[in-house]
Amino acid sequence: MTTLPPPGEGARPATNNAPDEPTANQTVNPTVNPTIDTRNERLDDGINRCPKCGSTEIQLRPSVGMLVCLFCRHEWAEARLDETIVNGDLAALRGTTIGSGASDIDTGADSLITMKCAGCGAEVVVNTDEQMGARCHWCRHVLTVNEQVANGAVPDAVLPFAITHDAATVKIREFAGKRRLFADRAFVRGFKPENVFGVYMPYMVVDANASADVAGFGEVKTRQYTRGTNNNKETYYDADVYSVQRHIDFTADDLTIEASSERAQMNAAANTNNIINTILPFDTANAVKWNASYLTGFTSEKRDQDVAETTPELEDQLLSIARSQLASSVDRYDRGVRWERERVEVHGTRWVAMYLPVWLYSHYQERGGKTMVHYIAVNGRTGEVMGSVPVSTPRLLAAALTVGTVLEGIVIAMLGASR
Amino acid sequence: MIAMLLSELTSGALVAASDGGPLWLLALGPAGGGALYFGLWRYYRNTHQSHSFERETRIEAKPIIAHDTKVDEIKGTKKSGIDGDNGTDHRKRVQRLDS
Repeated sequence: MTTLPPPGEGARPATNNAPDEPTANQTVNPTVNPTIDTRNERLDDGINRCPKCGSTEIQLRPSVGMLVCLFCRHEWAEARLDETIVNGDLAALRGTTIGSGASDIDTGADSLITMKCAGCGAEVVVNTDEQMGARCHWCRHVLTVNEQVANGAVPDAVLPFAITHDAATVKIREFAGKRRLFADRAFVRGFKPENVFGVYMPYMVVDANASADVAGFGEVKTRQYTRGTNNNKETYYDADVYSVQRHIDFTADDLTIEASSERAQMNAAANTNNIINTILPFDTANAVKWNASYLTGFTSEKRDQDVAETTPELEDQLLSIARSQLASSVDRYDRGVRWERERVEVHGTRWVAMYLPVWLYSHYQERGGKTMVHYIAVNGRTGEVMGSVPVSTPRLLAAALTVGTVLEGIVIAMLGASR
Repeated sequence: MIAMLLSELTSGALVAASDGGPLWLLALGPAGGGALYFGLWRYYRNTHQSHSFERETRIEAKPIIAHDTKVDEIKGTKKSGIDGDNGTDHRKRVQRLDS
């Protein structure tokens, strides 16, 4: 076979479901690229006041996921993004819909924003590459960047931290504590989990409506028998070979893809970015509209990837999902299946840029002229923890040699006894 | 000291093997030590871990459409499975056809 045939004629359903379900190779209209306006129109750049007392001393209270005024203790939250945009049936999704905070980054846009302090009239400059707010150096009011800017620093939504610093510290201590014996001694000496810091990482959260076709070969065992005598017996098999083709229509809700080019590079030999990837998923349905006050006390990493740059990763994930979904339909091939060709057709996508909360503990390791930053990461919502702890090679080698030697000794004793 | 011990173990094992003992058993020590090193290294570094988006994302799929045709028969092979089995390796990409 050189091409995938269109599904339909001659096809039979692999499940007990209705065989006449539509195969839905729908036409995509590439010209339709609507934008969802996700701006928080209630807020302007500059002073972000408590709705009750007017103070600008506002920050997130992670234990309840609410903004809290540090003067009057009033608590409130921004509206959930899901409540403010139309979601609809994902199977009806067509074309590419993009949140206004996920629009293409203008690389020429100035990262420096000058805000006029509403308290005293002074002009305060904020470098949005590094922070989303600043304190007026004259009157001490807190000024924040709330309007979406062309450099991609303000996403459509933010998912506030729900895990506190103390809880994250406990989880990191527990994780590293289980990996102490063979850890690099420099890591053990410098281990201070209270140095964990909260960072909002940039992601694209994508809904997709897609179809996939996969083709290959499968084998069914028809006979198993042995030839030879005594010690020269060998097992042989007979099998039927089938050409196997599958088509699947599916939707994926809230696929989460790294929107920072540096974090998207997952090479275990050079970095530990896979650690941060492993603590996904987040409860993205609870993300709220942007308010820079959610970032007070935390750091954030700016998005540098657009929709076009993350689309290949989306398609790759959709193909993996399709292959996973149809695995149960090839159970009858008891000698296995070899997929040889695959195709994904994306009918519609909806993209939202989001800041997601991660507690990060990092250890910088330099060995043999090579450097690596080891992370222990805690999901700021679910508390899921994963990490990379650098190993002490001499300790690991000593353990391996000891176990190997003991095993070898037992084998030799057994062989000696059987003489 | 470890080298001396290994040397004694090896010479003893060779004697046993020359007497007709199963020689492959001698590989158990190096294999066990290597497996322990590799297992511990993975437990500490977690380089194999990643987000299981195939299972941890909300997916709604319509019934799968299948088309299977018998194309050949194999007689008397010693291989217990199909060559290049990738039925469970969902992330291993194969030839990509244009949509």
